[in-house]
Amino acid sequence: MSDNNNNNEKFHEYDGIIEHDNPLPMWWLWTFFLTIIFSFIYFIHYELAGGQTQSEELAAAMAEIEQAQSKAHTSSPMETEESLKAAFGNDGILALGESQYTSKCASCHGAQLQGLIGPNLADKFWVHGKGTRMDIVKVIRDGVAEKGMPPWGPVMKKDEIYAVSAFILAKRGTQAPDAKEPQGEAVEDYLTAQ
Amino acid sequence: MNTGTGSHIEKIFYDDDIVKKFVMATMIWGAAAFVFGLIIATQLAYWPLNTNWEWVSFGRLRPLHTNAAIFAFAGNAIFAGIYHSTQRLLKARMFSDALSKIHFWGWQLIIVSAAITLPLGYTQSKEYAELEWPIDIAITLIWVVFAINFFGTIKRRREKHMYVAIWFYIATIITVAVLHIVNSIEIPVGMLQSYPVYSGIQDALVQWWYGHNAVAFFLTTPFLGLMYYYVPKAANRPVYSYRLSIVHFWALVFIYIWAGPHHLLYTSLPEWAQTLGMIFSLMLWAPSWGGMINGLLTLKGSWHLLRTEPLIKFFVAALTFYGMSTFEGPLLSIKSVSALGHYTDWIIGHVHSGALGWNGMLTFGMIYFLVPRLWKTELYSKKLLENHFWISLTGVLLYYISLVVAGITQGMMWRAVDKDGALVYPDFIETVVRIVPLYWVRALGGLLFIIGFVMMCYNIYKTIKAAPKNQEPESVQVSRSGYDEKNEQPHRKLEGMGLTFSVLAFLAIAVGSVIEIYPTLSLHKYVNPANIVEPHTPLEIAGRDVYIKEGCYTCHSQQIRPIASEVLRYGPASTIEESMYDRPFQWGSKRTGPDLSRVGKKYPNLWHLNHMIDPRAVTPKSIMPNYPWLAEKNTDYLSLRKKLSVLKMLGVPYEDDVVANADIHAQKQAMEIAADLESNGAPKGLEKKEIVALIAYLQSLGQKGKK
Repeated sequence: MSDNNNNNEKFHEYDGIIEHDNPLPMWWLWTFFLTIIFSFIYFIHYELAGGQTQSEELAAAMAEIEQAQSKAHTSSPMETEESLKAAFGNDGILALGESQYTSKCASCHGAQLQGLIGPNLADKFWVHGKGTRMDIVKVIRDGVAEKGMPPWGPVMKKDEIYAVSAFILAKRGTQAPDAKEPQGEAVEDYLTAQ
Repeated sequence: MNTGTGSHIEKIFYDDDIVKKFVMATMIWGAAAFVFGLIIATQLAYWPLNTNWEWVSFGRLRPLHTNAAIFAFAGNAIFAGIYHSTQRLLKARMFSDALSKIHFWGWQLIIVSAAITLPLGYTQSKEYAELEWPIDIAITLIWVVFAINFFGTIKRRREKHMYVAIWFYIATIITVAVLHIVNSIEIPVGMLQSYPVYSGIQDALVQWWYGHNAVAFFLTTPFLGLMYYYVPKAANRPVYSYRLSIVHFWALVFIYIWAGPHHLLYTSLPEWAQTLGMIFSLMLWAPSWGGMINGLLTLKGSWHLLRTEPLIKFFVAALTFYGMSTFEGPLLSIKSVSALGHYTDWIIGHVHSGALGWNGMLTFGMIYFLVPRLWKTELYSKKLLENHFWISLTGVLLYYISLVVAGITQGMMWRAVDKDGALVYPDFIETVVRIVPLYWVRALGGLLFIIGFVMMCYNIYKTIKAAPKNQEPESVQVSRSGYDEKNEQPHRKLEGMGLTFSVLAFLAIAVGSVIEIYPTLSLHKYVNPANIVEPHTPLEIAGRDVYIKEGCYTCHSQQIRPIASEVLRYGPASTIEESMYDRPFQWGSKRTGPDLSRVGKKYPNLWHLNHMIDPRAVTPKSIMPNYPWLAEKNTDYLSLRKKLSVLKMLGVPYEDDVVANADIHAQKQAMEIAADLESNGAPKGLEKKEIVALIAYLQSLGQKGKK
């Protein structure tokens, strides 16, 4: 063996355990040095030399998102009662509306729209607006904070909000046995005119 | 001073009885820790297992599992190994048999008291420091008993120089004492309840300085010490490198203590502290690997032993898992990786590769080594040992891989934003449903690990049963050695000086601790007076205590990170001021459910009532437990005056009238909420119940900013 240093000889002994004294592996030592060097540079950059802070990082990311949101908003056509009427007539919309209603709305408005925590959605009484398509879409999208109706705009896609609205309108006038008492103003023509 | 090696032979008896006791305790508490782990893992996959019985719901059992795994299983394993190896390495019987016994029985009593109080809901909600103040005091006393016993043995040693294993034991005993005492400074508000003196970012920083270093100095340094004794012993191979031991020991104890804030990246903790936490975690990579290298290179050239001495397999696996998790740790501490992994199951996978892979496998190897020697017999079945190894290895891998996949999947879903700037998965429950199948795989991994452990129990039982009866303790012949060594290098000299060595180890851990914690003790420097919030009302404090008691923080965070997808999902990033009166802080560390810091006023009161009684009534497919008892148990109004007076003393600006009439104020607010619930169809009389207090608290979250 060419090994002529003491590394592979007994250096110390404790309770029969022999200790050698091999050199530190170079790759290990360099890993240690490089992490230390990187850490110094990182600390100096972010804490002393004015590197991007977390709030600056957030502001940049939010600016990008807001730009995308406003672009999506302006490129989509203006909503009107007529445009919604056309959209609500799409094929299969009621099936999508029903599944969305069951998973997101039924817990507060009842499986038959009869009202539970939230008001009855099938009767002719309206708390917010007068039961137009525009009104229903707006309440679902923006919510009514003081009444505990959460805004679904951030959670549901546009098609899903349309589908749920169409579903609710399609159920108008249905009478569940345990329907909640009326809340809001009666709007007679809502049941017929549309 | 007695000099001259071998000049004077003495006959002494090692105390192996205490080692046997700790070995048995390790096995018993290990079974408990693993079974509780399997139960809560299955609860995540199959919510009905939470039952409608408060004492077994996830939030109560999760702290029991973590405490049992760390302090009962790993704790007793450490003590077994330390009591066995220290006597031999120092050539001295333990300092005092009485202290050994007090240590053993005291520790078991602490575990039993934890097993009783945690399911009953007595908790401080600080992770791995949940136990309430009387138990905290007991832990301190027993730890001091252990320290006296250990340092007394060092004092009486016949081996002048302390081996590297002893260095690690010293660092463990000193640092755990410092961590436990500093993190447990709390003011009692009842027989089994207290509030910490730290609040908000202070409490978060101190808690994770503690929490991270519980991993460092309870699950790493003592096990490295055990590794340095049992690996070369079992393999009968020389330890690879003394100088590597020196470098990695000091680097490890100095650097580890700084790394705590990596649990708080992207929170409202001041950024300088976050950056320190990240870079010290990176620098920790090599010192951690020093131990693995020294262990694996010690085993190099003895691979044939894997056939004849299969217990070596456990040591090889333990060292490999140690290397994996100490690589993954620094990786997860990089801010951008933490942004993805934090709050997800990736972290749970990470800790279990350490806990099951490193601590578990090393403990199993050690016990297989110890039992035949302590009971002076042969192991009952090497075949069974072999099967135990393979089945638990499969279990750990299934566990780890399923949770890493689950964590990364969910993390990616949380952050996905489409081209229109909207969240792709805005409904939190969608991201939960996606990973539930992986929760089943994880539970299967845990089950395999337990099956292996049952094999071990049987193997150990048969071994002990076959041991010769009425064994007399055998004396060993020892002589003082090392006292005549010439030309000692400086570190070699230090190894002969127990007290100086211990003081230096203390200083090594004190530097990082002081530099990180001291500045945040002046909380006012970080608070912007314009953003100061109103404190919680008395009823909200009562509700907050319910939130803590039920362990809500084990699944819900209250900390919105300054990350775009998070702001889209939950609202503006959390501020320092929003948690400035929170004792204890409730930032959480895991999001099995969504963040709650801005849940207030998002839903009507009745929604919360229905949701707590049956979460699936309002969120189909939810995996949250039912909490029917909240509508049955009465709110503890009587203790509110005491609680508010303690909070006021700690600096929360309550008016005197609010403190003096806390219960009356609380009942008044409860009447209002109960009336609202009743008007919407809920039953009468809820104002006395815990559910109303909890609703008051939930409705206040995110609503305390200046009007």
